[in-house]
Amino acid sequence: MTTANIILQVDNVDIYYGDFQAIRNVSFQVPERSIISIIGSNGAGKSTLLKAIAGLLKPYSGKIIFKGKDITGLMANKIVAEGISLVPEGRRIFPRMTVYENLIIGSYTPKARRKNKELLNKVFELFPVLKEKSQQIASNLSGGQQQMLAIGRALMSDPELIIFDEISLGLAPLIVKEIYQKISEINREGTTVVLVEQDVRRSLKASEFSYVMRGGEIVLTGKSSALEEEDVKVAYFGL
Amino acid sequence: MGKECVTIVINDIRNYKWFIITGLIAVLLTIPFWASNYTVSIFLLIFMYLALAQMWNLLAGYAGLVSLGQQMFIGLGGYTLAVLTELYRAPLWSSILIGGVISLIFALIISAPIFRMREAYFTIGTWLVAEALKIFFSNWGYVRYGQGFFITAAYQLTTTHMYYMAMVIGLGSVAVVYIILRSRLGLGLMAIRDNETAAESMGVEVFKAKLICFLIGAFVTSIAGSIFYLYQVFIQPYAAFGIDWTVAMVFIVIIGGIGTIEGPLAGVVIYVLLRQYLYNYAGISMLVLGLIAIVLIHVAPKGFIGTLQEKLGFEFLSPRRR
Repeated sequence: MTTANIILQVDNVDIYYGDFQAIRNVSFQVPERSIISIIGSNGAGKSTLLKAIAGLLKPYSGKIIFKGKDITGLMANKIVAEGISLVPEGRRIFPRMTVYENLIIGSYTPKARRKNKELLNKVFELFPVLKEKSQQIASNLSGGQQQMLAIGRALMSDPELIIFDEISLGLAPLIVKEIYQKISEINREGTTVVLVEQDVRRSLKASEFSYVMRGGEIVLTGKSSALEEEDVKVAYFGL
Repeated sequence: MGKECVTIVINDIRNYKWFIITGLIAVLLTIPFWASNYTVSIFLLIFMYLALAQMWNLLAGYAGLVSLGQQMFIGLGGYTLAVLTELYRAPLWSSILIGGVISLIFALIISAPIFRMREAYFTIGTWLVAEALKIFFSNWGYVRYGQGFFITAAYQLTTTHMYYMAMVIGLGSVAVVYIILRSRLGLGLMAIRDNETAAESMGVEVFKAKLICFLIGAFVTSIAGSIFYLYQVFIQPYAAFGIDWTVAMVFIVIIGGIGTIEGPLAGVVIYVLLRQYLYNYAGISMLVLGLIAIVLIHVAPKGFIGTLQEKLGFEFLSPRRR
């Protein structure tokens, strides 16, 4: 952790919704080319934190630094261009557009657009089913295929860091397993991965380093292999 | 078997798409030579409302901007034409164009405060601006208060002239929307239509995309309004800045199919024909239109074309990429 380059650094971030403080003084680091996970129950503040990183929310205080550059408070479209891509909770694909259109809109930023053919081939290689169904309307895909589409779309922006928000939500265990295999494939190709999950066991297994959140704070930190599932559960529920 | 036949027919239509479109335009060009004056004026109205509906569809169907104040641009266009030709004897063409530019500048000015409002607030905000203009114009001596203008410059034009003007703005509006949707901006707009937050996190500049649509809408709506008042010859503030304009646009787009190019095309034909027949029943015409809209929203919420597309998977003027 100390020797690797830090690609994303979150420093003492506070976020409020009106008077309610959703995130309290959260700091964490993501080493380059690693997989880290942020674990927590509903309302722990995971999604809020992600929204701040992706530029959909402005932190009240604190700093978010990506590749040595301060990106705190940048608009979402600028952050994609910097190289952070989000696979949002609930997939949020564009239902009335075709699979192909959903993918190419992932390369909306000028930088990604220049190499969108190459990126598209890579996505089709990773998820052959998307190539097969590329002219279909996205809402006609199954849940698992829609999740693959959301991941493919995120990859089309040529990200250096990709964030997966609650990716296993509402999917059959077999599909979840397949998608997790794809995630580690994506990581092996050199993309840094941040997993945000409620599924404790799967997160610990898939990631190198974990942060457990509760009530807007990070309550437990450690190497995933060293964290005991029991400790995490205790931290998770605050027992 | 039946479905296969339909698919074959659809593929045939698709292959001859440009051929069909060129043929249709050729037929439309000849209408004033053989059709009755009444038929010509029906087509004139169809083209005019088509331009208005295409623009409202671009705003509401793609950019997520549900405006109830588009009549402000009709009024501005019509009044610019009236004032410039009546008070200054300015040429017709430049008066219409200047009206469009004034609407564009006005749209740019009000966009600053009005884009801060979202969804229902934006809708109410646009309506209020139009209402304020209506009151302002009916109390403004320079434009002869509420008594209005006769646009005498229109006397030099025949119905045929106006038919072609309306045709250019009507078919031009379809072309403009088609070109926009095929562009990078259009891809962003379709994403905004489907999910605004997701579009933003894909890198779509949501504010810029919406502003561009609002400005294009203001310009084209204004020109269409001017052409209508050339045809109507008389303009006064309560009609020019009235909400009825936008009600018509909403009706056309909703029954035709919001968020499709073909929707307003189908909707406008239905609307204009219905309106002509319902003229004889002035008291209940609005009731009938309202009833049709309500029934259609319940039976086929995606509108005429939207439902057809869903059932057959067929899009004639598809902006899709392959």
